[in-house]
Amino acid sequence: MLNVILWAPLAAGVLLLIAPRPAARWIGAAGALVTLGFAIALVLDFDSAAPGLQHVVDESWIPDLGVRYELGVDGISVFLVLLTAVLWTAGTLFSALRSYPEDGRTRFYYFLLALGETAALGAFLAQDLLLFVLFFDLMLVPFFFLIGAFGSGERIAATTKMIVYTLVGSLLMLVGAIATAILVAQDTGELSFSIADLRANLLSAGSQEWIFCFFAAAFLVKMPAFPIHGWMPDAYRAAPLPVVLLLSGVLSKVGAYGFLRIVLPVYPEATVTFQEVVMVIAVASILYGSVMAFTQTNVRLVAGYSSVAQLGFITLGVFSLRDDGADGAVLQMVNHGLVVAAIFVVIGILYARTRTEDLTEMGGQAMRAPVLAALFLVVTLATLAMPGSANFIGEFYILNGAFQSKIALAFVAAIGVALAAFYALRLYQRTMHNRLPEGVDSREISLRDSVVLAPLVACIVALALWPGVILDRGEASVDQNVGAVAALGTDCSTQANTTVEPANTAVLCE
Amino acid sequence: MSATDWAWLVLAFPLAGSLVIALGFRVLSPKAAGWIGTGAIALAFVSSIGALLMLLDEPTDARQLTDSLYQYASAAGLEIDLGILVDPLSVFMCLVVTGVSTLIHLYSVAYMDSDAGYRRFFSYLNFFVFSMLLLVLAGNFVILIVGWAFVGFASYALISYWYRRHTATTAGMKAFVINVVGDIGLVFAAFFVFRELGTFDFLDSFDAARETFTTNEGVVVAICCLMLVGAFAKSAQVPLHTWLPDAMEGPTPVSALIHAATMVTAGVYLIARMFPFFELAPTAADIAAFIGLATLLIASTIALAVTDLKRIIAYSTMSQIGYMVVGVSIGAYVGGLFHLMTHAFFKALLFMAAGSVIAAMANVQNIDRMSGFRRAMPLTSGLLVIGCLALAAFPGTSGFFSKDEILAFASDRGGMYLIFTIGGYIGAFMTAIYAFRIGFRVTTGEPCEEARELERGHLHHAEPRNPATGEGEDTDVGFPGPEHQIAERRRPMAIAMSVLAAGALFGGLIQIPGVDAVLEHFLEGTFESSPLFHIVPSTAASWFGLLIGGVISIAGIGVAYYCYVANPGVTARLIARVPRVHRFLLNKWYFDELQDALVYRPAIAIGRFANSVFERVVVDGIVNAATGVVRGAGSVVRGAQSGFVRAYALLLIGGFAALGVYFLVVSS
Amino acid sequence: MDIAWYLVLSALLFAVGAGGVLIRRSPLVILLCLELMLNAGNLALVAFARSAGNEEGQVFALVVMVVAACEVVIGLGLIVAMFRRRLALDVDAMRELKG
Repeated sequence: MLNVILWAPLAAGVLLLIAPRPAARWIGAAGALVTLGFAIALVLDFDSAAPGLQHVVDESWIPDLGVRYELGVDGISVFLVLLTAVLWTAGTLFSALRSYPEDGRTRFYYFLLALGETAALGAFLAQDLLLFVLFFDLMLVPFFFLIGAFGSGERIAATTKMIVYTLVGSLLMLVGAIATAILVAQDTGELSFSIADLRANLLSAGSQEWIFCFFAAAFLVKMPAFPIHGWMPDAYRAAPLPVVLLLSGVLSKVGAYGFLRIVLPVYPEATVTFQEVVMVIAVASILYGSVMAFTQTNVRLVAGYSSVAQLGFITLGVFSLRDDGADGAVLQMVNHGLVVAAIFVVIGILYARTRTEDLTEMGGQAMRAPVLAALFLVVTLATLAMPGSANFIGEFYILNGAFQSKIALAFVAAIGVALAAFYALRLYQRTMHNRLPEGVDSREISLRDSVVLAPLVACIVALALWPGVILDRGEASVDQNVGAVAALGTDCSTQANTTVEPANTAVLCE
Repeated sequence: MSATDWAWLVLAFPLAGSLVIALGFRVLSPKAAGWIGTGAIALAFVSSIGALLMLLDEPTDARQLTDSLYQYASAAGLEIDLGILVDPLSVFMCLVVTGVSTLIHLYSVAYMDSDAGYRRFFSYLNFFVFSMLLLVLAGNFVILIVGWAFVGFASYALISYWYRRHTATTAGMKAFVINVVGDIGLVFAAFFVFRELGTFDFLDSFDAARETFTTNEGVVVAICCLMLVGAFAKSAQVPLHTWLPDAMEGPTPVSALIHAATMVTAGVYLIARMFPFFELAPTAADIAAFIGLATLLIASTIALAVTDLKRIIAYSTMSQIGYMVVGVSIGAYVGGLFHLMTHAFFKALLFMAAGSVIAAMANVQNIDRMSGFRRAMPLTSGLLVIGCLALAAFPGTSGFFSKDEILAFASDRGGMYLIFTIGGYIGAFMTAIYAFRIGFRVTTGEPCEEARELERGHLHHAEPRNPATGEGEDTDVGFPGPEHQIAERRRPMAIAMSVLAAGALFGGLIQIPGVDAVLEHFLEGTFESSPLFHIVPSTAASWFGLLIGGVISIAGIGVAYYCYVANPGVTARLIARVPRVHRFLLNKWYFDELQDALVYRPAIAIGRFANSVFERVVVDGIVNAATGVVRGAGSVVRGAQSGFVRAYALLLIGGFAALGVYFLVVSS
Repeated sequence: MDIAWYLVLSALLFAVGAGGVLIRRSPLVILLCLELMLNAGNLALVAFARSAGNEEGQVFALVVMVVAACEVVIGLGLIVAMFRRRLALDVDAMRELKG
């Protein structure tokens, strides 16, 4: 099952390379839809009570290096896989229905999209460290071409910047990964990159610390987190809109997911040591992203900086080292992916009408477009985590986790919530409300745009009514990954626990 | 059907109404939408009565019923149900909300006629009622916060209803952001509660709080203060009140419903509902009471000075809510909630009458331009005066009994609480003055031009303009419609206003000291465990307080008569005598400017700084520095590739020589 | 005969040739000096072959002469190409491989 999900997009991609040019985009879209179907089947088939990996695929790949082709899915990744499938379907359909790319290199474009989907799915499914690093770096390749060849404006400079930033992190991560495996092999005598093996044999605190820093560098750049977000504005401005949708919706989550999957279980002592540092970085991202978002005039950058802030919340949740914080982070990853994808689709729709992405030149679009206004309103309310939306529950869980572990940071992070209300509503008002600028018309949303936007909004609304769908499935796996670290956080014996007492009772060891 | 079943119906009808109108906006005619909306709320009112009757069937000490629809989010130790709490307090609030809402919907059916966004209006209005009902019926902190935020959103949507008006969208944004600040306060209060007591459920946390906390323990004071942040943001108490006057940008029915009768009372409801916490933290309760008192007085002074009719009424609302806040904070739960009910009646009536007058003035809201409508609009004028009488707490009206009950309770508690009594009476005096500032200005005196035109039977028309800025507008969607409706010509408006007038006049009869105590008996089901609830002033003390209140009210009306009817030039001379005081009041005590300077401007400045300096210098700077270093190193190394063949040859030969010498040395 | 004499002569010739390569600017003269260096090497090879008593050194000297001939052909070809394009026959002027 997992093999099918993982390789179906790439298969469609290869197929469309040899297909006639007009059919290429539809084959690409079909491939994404097929993958989506399988992903939904995977979620339906998922057993929410079991904490371990399900649907495991375990083959030997490079025995001399101890690298295995190991795939698996658990409560944390099952919805991320579904999110990837949904967003890639949205992005591909959006491109196909709007006849991207206009210059005719359609086969190349859709092949790149397909390759990107496989790479992202691989990152979420891989259970072998080197396999994970492979897919993580593979994600960059299609995006390099997508932005560099199909982008606009300063696309070459933007691509170079993005690649260099991400690669520095990735290379550090590779070094860390190899070091981990080798150091562990020195203890156990057997070289293995499998995450399960690495979790069972922990390294000394000293080695953990520097390897943690390397992994953190890679993941924080991907998200992007505050000080190392410099690639984001240029890349978001230059890339084609469907590509930005995928960058913001899926690729940023790989960073947060990497923390949960790899860093917390394999380097628990280092996580505890660096918990406050990373939480401070997270809060800084929240505040900086929010502040930047409400002063930007380029709509893409408003969404981009808001993503920086939202990923800051997710990081905060993960590093609260509590079940509720981390479970909230998992929910929020899915929420944010859906919401930011919807925002970018709306930006595309607005651009078709106003021919600009500058807020100072927009306004009044709601006049003849009540359906568009309503859909965009739902998305805006979800962005600002209005209570009643699933984003609120995610933030509630995250802030509760942060509150119970480090109160002061929670209060500071809450400022980000108020700022989010301001920038989200500002975006909505400046595009939809106030007067129409000269020479601009307000048009209702077309059928082909609503095919992409309406399902996304429907998912957002459905999650708002039943956030438990994700929270329940994530609970057991989050407990397993975070519980081991939480036990350490209380300075007890380092026996890795797989069960943790409920969040509100006293400390674990006497 | 049990009480909780009726309660679910109470929630379901408005939500269904909102969704039906929203989803069917292309097929429904505006009239149909209006009647569906009104009908939905009427059904909710009927269901509230059903819940009331079922609740009364229960014995007094078993009137707190809970029910849950499903588990909303229960993972990782946090249990959050979609649960409601049906008890006398929530049923009381439901009745007030649905009752007044039905009448306002009825009014709006006529008032909003010809507005291009008619259906959107009713969908939002129904959604608002649903949100408010969710808030008062919530059974745990999270659903309370959800209802709280929904109400805030509905308020935003309705304030910026005429969304092409820049003033309206700005006002909506302001209201929403302040509301979010309040939300955050509530969220943190919920976190504290969960941490200390392990549950989000109201009844469970109340029981646990009594066992866990000692009086005035730091944590419980913190919880209450955080809840007060939420309450004051919603109820427009100082200093989180700046959004309320701006909220008058919304259509008048919105002001009537949301910003007078229901939403702004949510803070009062919250303090009353959380009485176990507040009674464990008297410090926080006292802080709340003092802020209520301050708001009461400050708002009254501003209402004496500003000239926009709707804003006067808005400040009056702020002031009256100050009374309610004082009431529920010092323990006068019955008084505070009674005043909530009577205020809903007469304030909604006042706004409705104001709407009628403003329509006659073709959307001009400046009170200085209005006069002499008593002949042109007899019904509106009469009902307006009834509203003013109730606001001024004229003896016999509902406002008289409710307001003075709070003040009597304060003086009965004695000691420090006498400050509230004295402050309350001072406020009452000012209230009477400004209430009849409105009453006399609009009804008496020489008819203004619009009134004369109306007397001849012709409703004044003017170019559509923004009342605040004077900007020209059109009448398409996003701006007000072309026609103006007055109560004399539209039966629904007249009916709604008359019913409210009856409530304003006779609503006080249910709590006459010494005669009956209907509300007190009813609310006992909720407040049983409160020691403060059982403090009832003696009949004699109550009547003494009522006497003083009556005298002050008549005195205030007399002063207003003197200033606005008998000697019209007095106010102008007064303003000329103390121009700086007048300007201070006219500028609303400069709170807006203060907020602008303390919060808004620094935030924008930080944003600009981040954008222009920080991004460019620090973030890009580090990266550019890195690339610069790499480039520099590259240039240095490039120096070796000079292109001179002879230089390469030298390197070659020299290198070999060096190697040769090295090997010679090593081997010897 | 003492082999040292031949080696000294070879070294001297090599040094003169190296010096010429480094100092002279005309490509023809540089080629000439290159030849000088190669022949110095040949001399040393033959001297060693004679003193060791086997012919391997002499055979290798023949190989070196072949290589020298090939290299001269290419070098002279380059110089003729330079002359045909009217470029200055100055090695310092040929700087297109500058980094």
